[in-house]
Amino acid sequence: TLPLPRSFLLKSLEQARKIQARSSVLLEQLCAVYKLCHPEELVLLGHSLGIPQAPLSHCSSQALQLTECLSQLHRGLFLYQGCLQALAGISPELAPTVDMLQLDVANFATTIWQQMETLGVVAAGQPTQSTMPAFTSAFQRRAGGVLATSRLQSFLETAHHALNHLT
Amino acid sequence: SCGHIRISVPIVRLGDPVMASCTVSPNCSKLDREPRILWRLEDGPNQPGDKQWRLPDGTQESTITLPHMNHTKAFLFCLVPWANSFQVLDQAEIRAGYPPASPSNLSCLMYLTTNSLVCQWEPGPETHLPTNFTLKSFRSRADCQYQEDSIPDCVPGDRQNTCSIHRKHLLLYQNMVIWVQAENVLGTSESPKLCLDPMDVVKLEPPELQALDINPDLVPRQPGCLWLSWKPWEPGGFMEQECELRYQPQLRGANWTLVSHLPSSKDQFKLCGLHQAPVYTLQIRCIRSPLPGLWSSWSPGLQLRPSL
Repeated sequence: TLPLPRSFLLKSLEQARKIQARSSVLLEQLCAVYKLCHPEELVLLGHSLGIPQAPLSHCSSQALQLTECLSQLHRGLFLYQGCLQALAGISPELAPTVDMLQLDVANFATTIWQQMETLGVVAAGQPTQSTMPAFTSAFQRRAGGVLATSRLQSFLETAHHALNHLT
Repeated sequence: SCGHIRISVPIVRLGDPVMASCTVSPNCSKLDREPRILWRLEDGPNQPGDKQWRLPDGTQESTITLPHMNHTKAFLFCLVPWANSFQVLDQAEIRAGYPPASPSNLSCLMYLTTNSLVCQWEPGPETHLPTNFTLKSFRSRADCQYQEDSIPDCVPGDRQNTCSIHRKHLLLYQNMVIWVQAENVLGTSESPKLCLDPMDVVKLEPPELQALDINPDLVPRQPGCLWLSWKPWEPGGFMEQECELRYQPQLRGANWTLVSHLPSSKDQFKLCGLHQAPVYTLQIRCIRSPLPGLWSSWSPGLQLRPSL
C-alpha cells in the first residue's frame, strides 16, 4: 500500500472532525429555525432533488483500496461542496455557517487532492462540478440543506473511520 | 502671481540637501525692476539665494541649496524687499524623513471564533513620512518554495500594525507565505517571510477547570486530595490536544508543580499530596498535539481546598 504521511492522516482526521462539528451546528440551526430536524423524513424529497450520497466503498476497512479511496473521498467532498454552494442564500442567519462549512469542505478536498498529486495517483485534472441540485423553493433549499449536510456527516464518519484505520 | 517656487525634490532624506528656485515675473507691478530675491526657511533669517540672474524675458530667478534638511517638515518662503519690510511671493512645503526599515517580529494567529488569520508586526523606526504597510501573502505547498494562488493584499487600518486575513482567502491545512511590505516616497522594504499553515498557529483557549464534589459514600475521603474535571474549549474541540496542569499552595513564594501530558477532556481527575496549605491554586493549559500548535494561555486560577 502507498505510504501516507502521518501528518497528512492527522490533518485529514482533524479536518473531518472540524467539518463534522460545523455540520452539527448547521443541522442544529436548521432544526431550530425551520423545525426540519429529521433527515430521514426527507428521503423522498432527496430523490426528487437529486441530493447525492457519495460512495466510499473503497474506504471500508474490509476492502480498503487506498488510491480509489482517496479518489472517492475527493470526489465526495467535491460533490458536497457543490451541494453547499447550491444552498447559497438559504437565509441570513445560516449563511455564515454554510459559507464556513463550504470553505472547510473545499479545503479538505484540496488536502486530499494535493496528497494524491504527491503520490502521483492523479489520473486526470480536478473533477468538474457535476449538475448540482436546483432548489426551486425556500423549503426545497432548507430541506436540501438538511439532507446534504446529514449525508455529508455520514460520509465523513466513514472517511474518519477509514483514515483512523490508516493512522 | 508674482513669484513661484520650484523644489527639485519636495521630499528628501533627513539631512540631505534641497535645491529650490524662485522666479519673479517682470510684470509684477509695484516691485522694483530687478528685485533682490530672498529666502526664508520656516521662521529663520531672510537670506539671499546662492545665485540670481535675469532671464531673457525679464524674469528674475534665484536659486538656493539648503545643504542639510534637518526639519522633517518645513515651509520655504520666497520674498522680496518692499517698502521697509518684505513681501512673501510664494511658499513651498518641504518634507524630510527616512525610507522604511524592514518591518520585524511578524507573527500570526488563527482565531477559530472569527475564522480569520490575524498578523501583527513591528513597523520599525519612525520615518517621519506617510508610510504604507501591506500584509502580503500567497498560497504555497510544503516548503513554501513556490507560489500557488495569490491572496489579496491585506491593508491595515490607519496607524495599525496588524491585519486580519478573511477565512475565504485562507486554504487551511496548506502552507502559505506571509510578509509585510512597508513603502513611502523614499523607498520600500519587506519583512522576512513566514511560511505557515494557519491551523498550526491557532489561538487556542484553555479548557474550563472545574472542581468535582465526590460523594464520600461512593469514594472514601482521602486527606490532601481533590477532584477535578475539564472540557476542551468548544471551538477547538475538533483538534487533538495535550494539556498540562499546574498547582501551587497559597503560600508566599510557593512554587508551581506541573502535571504534564494530560488529555484535553477529563470527567474525573484526582490530585493528591496537597498537604502544604489549606488552599491551592490550580490552572490548566493545552496545546494541539501531535500536530503542531501553540500553547493556550493558562486558565484562570481555581482556588480549591483539598480534603482534610
